[in-house]
Amino acid sequence: MARATGHGRASFVSACTRAGDRDGGRILEDRVPDERVADEPGAGAPLLRVVSDEFYPDWEAVYRDNVARVYRLMFAKVGNRPDAEDLTAEVFTTALRPLRVSASAAEVRAYLLATARTVLAGHWRRTLGWEVTTLTDEDNLEAAPADTPTSADTAGRAAAMLAQLPDSYRRILELRFLESCSVREAAAAMGISLTYAKVLQHRALRAAAALPEVSG
Amino acid sequence: MSPWGARRFVADLLRGRRPRSFRAQDADLDELRAAITLRAAQPGSGVPREEFVADLHQRLADQLTGKHPTEDAEPVRSARPMVDTTRRRLVAASSLAAAAAAVGAVADHALTTRTSPTGGEAGPQTLVPNTGQWRTVATSADLTEGGVQSFDLGTVVGFVSRTGGALRAVSGVCTHLGCRLALDAPGRQLNCPCHTTSFALDGELLRHQLRVAPPALPQLEVRETNGSVQIYAPPGPA
Repeated sequence: MARATGHGRASFVSACTRAGDRDGGRILEDRVPDERVADEPGAGAPLLRVVSDEFYPDWEAVYRDNVARVYRLMFAKVGNRPDAEDLTAEVFTTALRPLRVSASAAEVRAYLLATARTVLAGHWRRTLGWEVTTLTDEDNLEAAPADTPTSADTAGRAAAMLAQLPDSYRRILELRFLESCSVREAAAAMGISLTYAKVLQHRALRAAAALPEVSG
Repeated sequence: MSPWGARRFVADLLRGRRPRSFRAQDADLDELRAAITLRAAQPGSGVPREEFVADLHQRLADQLTGKHPTEDAEPVRSARPMVDTTRRRLVAASSLAAAAAAVGAVADHALTTRTSPTGGEAGPQTLVPNTGQWRTVATSADLTEGGVQSFDLGTVVGFVSRTGGALRAVSGVCTHLGCRLALDAPGRQLNCPCHTTSFALDGELLRHQLRVAPPALPQLEVRETNGSVQIYAPPGPA
């Protein structure tokens, strides 16, 4: 249901999808223009590294093939970009130095995953003192191709969680968390007051937290 | 229960900010997990920014090529200004050391014993002798842009090259079984006379015919001072 807000701006669901980008400019700059691609690791590197397919020819290949995988894994565990970026950086700065490229691709990934596990545990120990989320045996760097925006697993867990909630709870969480609506936009979309939207969000999240099998 | 800390954490997540830490209680955790799970399901959220990927690549290149030989000084450094830089830097330095200590030993073993025929240390691949001195191997004038020169210091042999203005020195001994590498100047590579293994001038393995890939060549520390190109190497017979 689309209703005009007090600001005179139509506010149906899709209007919020990229709300983070304009939310006071807090989500930083836009994507870098295409020219950066020329600077991408290995863009100009010779392709004559003819070592067996099972091996990475050099550290840059390790990085190129795994940076998006590690980032996605970290984002799924911390839910925000600044932390996901720092933890991804920490994984690679920690792992690449002792890494020998002579290891097979599978071994390299296992090693990156082990490093990521330690890095994530350290992050939670420093920030909250509890391991809020962990990398388990079910997490791996191979599950999804590198260009899948979110892993099916991540989306599936959220969908399963939402499906168990009453409609109004599900709706407010979708609007706020998945579609990045502001509270005001979410309230307008649902036809409720701002105050009630805040209360509803809080209750809905608590209800979601109480569901079984919502563990990270 | 610390409802305000948890609420603020969730509010930060929703704003795409780094959540502020707080004294969390056990009772908060499920809520934080639920919030993270939902937030991670935003479309497109799992894709890193291109700028981040390029920036981290540069940092790693600097680290691995020894531009920051004091390796623990500031390992997690971002060119991007961060909200609370001070805290991050503090924790980054300590946590990296801890993480490195924790996984280093395991990785060492897992990655080198089975795959590296030469075994040995898996730490930094830059040779830093216990006792060393800066020893001149060429004059700056001799080593022009794109140039390569071999050196034999008695204790260490290798090749020093200048590419893109940067000096780099690598060991001149094949990491397979120790044969001395020969410079193929036109091909800008180092060839092993024993088993046709080749390395790039930066030490990376180019090709080999072995069952198991040999490691890259160790790097040597190199500097340029007063018109001389110098290598940090053990003293010994000239």
